[in-house]
Amino acid sequence: MKKMKFKNKRKLSGFLYTTPWLIGFVMFFAVPIVKTIWWSFNEVGVSENGGMELTWNGVKNYVSLFTEQVASGSQTFLQVFTNENTNLLVNAPIIVIFSLFLAILANVKFKGQGIIRTVFFLPIVLGLDVITDLITISTGGDLVTRGGGLFSQGIAATMLLRYTTISSDIILTITSYVDNIFSLISQAGVQTLIYLAGLQSISPSLYEVAKIEGATSYESFWKVTLPLIGNITMFVVVYTIVDIFLDSSIASEVYRFAFTKSRIGIASALSVVYMLNVLLVLGIVLAISKKVVKKDV
Amino acid sequence: MSEKKRKPNRPPKPAKVVMKHAVTAVFFGVMIAGMCFTMIYPIVKLLPNVFSSLLDLGNPDVIWIPVNRSTLSFTAAWRLTMKEGIMTIAKSVGYAAFITLIQIFVSAMVGYAIARVNFPGANLIFVLVLFVFLVPPQALLLSQYIHFQNFWFFGKVYNLIGRPVTLYLLALFGFGVNQSLFIFVFRQFFKNTPKELEEAALIDGCGFNKTYFKVMLPNAKPAIATVAVLGFVWNYGDTYYTGYFDPDGPYLGYILNTTFQSANQQFVTNAIMTWYKLPLANAFAFDAVKQAGALIYMVPLLIFYFITQHWLVENVENAGIVG
Repeated sequence: MKKMKFKNKRKLSGFLYTTPWLIGFVMFFAVPIVKTIWWSFNEVGVSENGGMELTWNGVKNYVSLFTEQVASGSQTFLQVFTNENTNLLVNAPIIVIFSLFLAILANVKFKGQGIIRTVFFLPIVLGLDVITDLITISTGGDLVTRGGGLFSQGIAATMLLRYTTISSDIILTITSYVDNIFSLISQAGVQTLIYLAGLQSISPSLYEVAKIEGATSYESFWKVTLPLIGNITMFVVVYTIVDIFLDSSIASEVYRFAFTKSRIGIASALSVVYMLNVLLVLGIVLAISKKVVKKDV
Repeated sequence: MSEKKRKPNRPPKPAKVVMKHAVTAVFFGVMIAGMCFTMIYPIVKLLPNVFSSLLDLGNPDVIWIPVNRSTLSFTAAWRLTMKEGIMTIAKSVGYAAFITLIQIFVSAMVGYAIARVNFPGANLIFVLVLFVFLVPPQALLLSQYIHFQNFWFFGKVYNLIGRPVTLYLLALFGFGVNQSLFIFVFRQFFKNTPKELEEAALIDGCGFNKTYFKVMLPNAKPAIATVAVLGFVWNYGDTYYTGYFDPDGPYLGYILNTTFQSANQQFVTNAIMTWYKLPLANAFAFDAVKQAGALIYMVPLLIFYFITQHWLVENVENAGIVG
């Protein structure tokens, strides 16, 4: 009886901790999102008094989005969505693994590591919209893309192509990824930081135990580190997926349709499709990870 | 780190092991050096531009070391954006730090509750947090703006646009810059803390609040440090929230954003021409001043991170998981 009471009290306290967020959800989020969804089923125009004028037109916005409307790259939206999803499928795993690798590098203890870690933090700073806008040169090109081609045109790649028997397809694929290292690094900044913190939350005593049991550092990585950062990896995967979508052309098309073209109905429909797409991807990923990890994530 | 402890009673290492260690060290060294180079490269690329004399810009002979050096770009950027001198930076930093503190406080509580307490609906709240996170700001921009203009609160309608208090309210109720992300970070970290900690606290007679504030929160140091760093960077670098809800406020990011927007190029170039008597200032000069502004802007971020980074990688070993 007493235990029951205790448990209920705990549940109540837990719920109380979330109340500010719940109030915020209703006040700041629920109303705007419902409005956006509502607009997606309407033709939105400007009325005489400057307000909004809505005329119900069912799923017409959605139909027109996929049949008539074209994105700025003169692609149909079906193409845009297919491209983004393939891009995601290819890049998300690379970004996740790469950020874990960077975090392990930043975690190595040596003299002057503070400076190295500050450098590792630069991609997050340079990734801020304000800063990207500021360092972009208005007289053509931006700095990050200027770095591209550094490796595929470099000596190493040329040597490999000319003097080894490795198939040129393989070399070109690899060098194109190495060329992309600038964008890869800028997409992995936040994840690296999270992984770095995740590595700290593993108790060092576990590594000691593994060492005593005779595990090599390679083995303790697979048997201690990886299982224990499962929760963090889940975060990193979700973050990477959402981030790739936020960076995608779909997000900027929403803005273009709403503000440049004043097609608010279409823009809202596009937002809804976008959200459904991300939800679907996340759903699949979470379902798979539950099957694989078999642990509460 | 335990190198010192181990050394005394250890037999000399066989040559093979030494060799292996050396190879690993070199491998890591090269890797770290390479990564650092790639990360610094965009900034290094800026330097010849911003330190060059404004009239010498666009000179095709200059790749790395400008012929006529000057720091005029910085002076110009400072004069254009820092209306209150150093106080502009101080205010932006103070704002970002304060908002981040609120965000940490609220997000950690929500994250803890949905990670460790099994109340009905905890998982639903988690799914909602994820949902908020994945909705792109672009999709909400318009409806949010209209909603905030006529904000209904218990029978009264307020206009929340153009008021600094809105920014604090948003953070307090969990909807500041990227805050659902922070809740998510805290949830994942609290999931990772061993159950024994909480149980030990309970056996010691700690109530729910005491367990949280005295035991769980201090143990979430890596998570707090991460959120502090990210929150500070994103609030300091935010132009969306500050631009919409308090456009006249002292937020350096937004000031830079508006001063150096491309529509303002003529104004900036004219200012440089008249202030520094450089009638030939052109688009290159605009770029250089803009980039100098970016560099000034980044300084507080880098200092902040340099101070907090060792906190970020401080291990939880002294937190007493075993004892």
